[in-house]
Amino acid sequence: MLSSIFTVGFLVSLLAGTIRLATPILLPALGQIYTQRAGILNLGVEGTMTIGAVAGFSAAYKTGNLWLGLLAGMFFGMLWSLIMAWLSVTMRANQVIAGIALNILGAGTAVYVYRIIFGVQSLPPQVTPFAAVNIPLLSKIPIIGQIFFQHNILVYLSYVMVFVTWFILEKTTFGLKIRAVGEHPRAADSKGISVAGVRYAAVLIGGLYAGAAGAFMSIAYMNLFTESIVSGRGFIAVSVVIFARFMPVRAMWGALLFGFASALQMRLQALGIDMANQLMLMLPYVMTIAALIFASKKAEFPSAYTIPYSRLER
Amino acid sequence: MNSKIINSIKQFVIAVLTIILALAVGAILVWISGNDPAEAYTTLFRGALGSKARISEVLVKMIPLTLMALGMSIAYKAQLWNIGANGQLTIGAILAILPGIYLGLPTVILLPLSLILSIVGGALWCGLAAWLKNRFNANEVITTLMLNYIATYFLAFLVYGPMMDPDGGGFPQSKVLPEAYHLPLFSAQMRIHGGIVVAIIVIIMMFFFWRTKLGVKIDLIGQGDKIATYAGVNVKKTVMVAMLISGALCGLAGWNEVYGVQYRLLEGLSSGYGDIATIIALLGGLNPLGIVIASFFFSALLVGGATMQRMTEVPYSVVDIIQGLVIVFVIARTAIHFGWPQKLLRKEKKDA
Repeated sequence: MLSSIFTVGFLVSLLAGTIRLATPILLPALGQIYTQRAGILNLGVEGTMTIGAVAGFSAAYKTGNLWLGLLAGMFFGMLWSLIMAWLSVTMRANQVIAGIALNILGAGTAVYVYRIIFGVQSLPPQVTPFAAVNIPLLSKIPIIGQIFFQHNILVYLSYVMVFVTWFILEKTTFGLKIRAVGEHPRAADSKGISVAGVRYAAVLIGGLYAGAAGAFMSIAYMNLFTESIVSGRGFIAVSVVIFARFMPVRAMWGALLFGFASALQMRLQALGIDMANQLMLMLPYVMTIAALIFASKKAEFPSAYTIPYSRLER
Repeated sequence: MNSKIINSIKQFVIAVLTIILALAVGAILVWISGNDPAEAYTTLFRGALGSKARISEVLVKMIPLTLMALGMSIAYKAQLWNIGANGQLTIGAILAILPGIYLGLPTVILLPLSLILSIVGGALWCGLAAWLKNRFNANEVITTLMLNYIATYFLAFLVYGPMMDPDGGGFPQSKVLPEAYHLPLFSAQMRIHGGIVVAIIVIIMMFFFWRTKLGVKIDLIGQGDKIATYAGVNVKKTVMVAMLISGALCGLAGWNEVYGVQYRLLEGLSSGYGDIATIIALLGGLNPLGIVIASFFFSALLVGGATMQRMTEVPYSVVDIIQGLVIVFVIARTAIHFGWPQKLLRKEKKDA
């Protein structure tokens, strides 16, 4: 049993799988860094991703163009998160409840839309997914090439987004505004920053990333749409953000950790090895709680986390 | 007192209007899907309330949903956002079933013992989140959410591993409880079971709970830590107690599912009741009567929705959408008129 685990082939497919499976967690997590740093906890990512998945799949299937599918996923992810922005910023509703509501509503809407577009079919319609792009030269390196440089284009782009997100948040005025609004909305307001405007933007960007991740699931990973296509990845993304203490690079490590856990489980299952993998799948969640303990101690949460802002309130 | 009654009536009327609005949107969606809304809703209604057996099904769903929603309401009143109901139900169910499968006790001892164990299990699982909040200031939303996953995987570990029924053909489920332990049925043709008595007792207790000293304290924490401290309330202790009770009721729902409905552990035991219970608690305005009514409505919607899906071409997702819409409408309205930001509105008035 052990001899079949400790082979090069197993390790290569395990690590390559880790990188691929981390992608649909990394993308929404990066998006949620904007949102959460602006002080809004959007638990509705799960629903947003499902909407992105169905929009991406439908557009890709009907137009035959995967890129249009990706764009549709992003657009509708953003549109869906507009509801969250409205509820949490304009209506100042409780964010936890709003998120839960939008998950239920999102799952229902996505499945309904799929049914309206595709009807009841005995075989689920499929798309030809994004093909693997072998990076010239690098992909030829033994082992390393197979692990890192033979993925589809969206996987590479997602990891590029780690840098982009870091840059926007740390090096641009917009990033500064987001942090200001999350830390001290009143001060930001007095400096002439529109708290509501920045928070809307932060939620919508979060929706954009989540929608892209949903589209990744349906047109670059599963190649079809099912009701349970997201299966908890949105919630994992939310926890990765906290695990990562709101930093993009750390979020990447967090996503890779979750990716590793699920890749290992899949690989072991493929080998027919019966190990207590449920306990292993549990591990990242335990680690998130552990990270939360340390993060909370150091008070690294944005000060205005989950607190609606009102000019009239003191 | 008089204004209180008027306020309750107002809340009730608005809740009903909210539901009607959601059902109206649902009707449009049914129509778009190429079906007859009238037929769909008739089927749904008959499926939920058309016969004694159907009503029994609604009650079977109502038991866990009401218990959990009441549990949620206690935490929510204190502004503690416990979203870990599913995990608390799961741990309660696991602890409750252990003596039933492994000890072979007489029924009179087993049933109370398992009931207590379920309460302890749920309470500890939620209390853990409260402890993390008190001790490390860890956000309870995230910890209860994580504890859901941990409980779910732990249950999966048990039913795939040490507790798997050796004669179960490899299905991820535990051995069946001996028949002597099953909660008694009121009729052989219906699934409604003795657990409803426990649920009714809890509901009655909840009617008095908000008048007790503890209830008032919990309410005070919800008004803000400062106010509670001025009033002489030990915030941390009350947070812990509120969460313990909240989890206990969810654990109790697990006992009901195991001893009254499933008679065994199986994967996905909580079937996502937690989220619906959250919605019920809020639609019910966090008050016991409101929760019972809201719980009845949602249980009927779930049971009738399943029938509608079987009997007509209407997709079940319409039911999900109706549920989601109800809560979106509720929070949008709550934010304007009632509930949480009332403090805030009062301040706005003062400022103006």
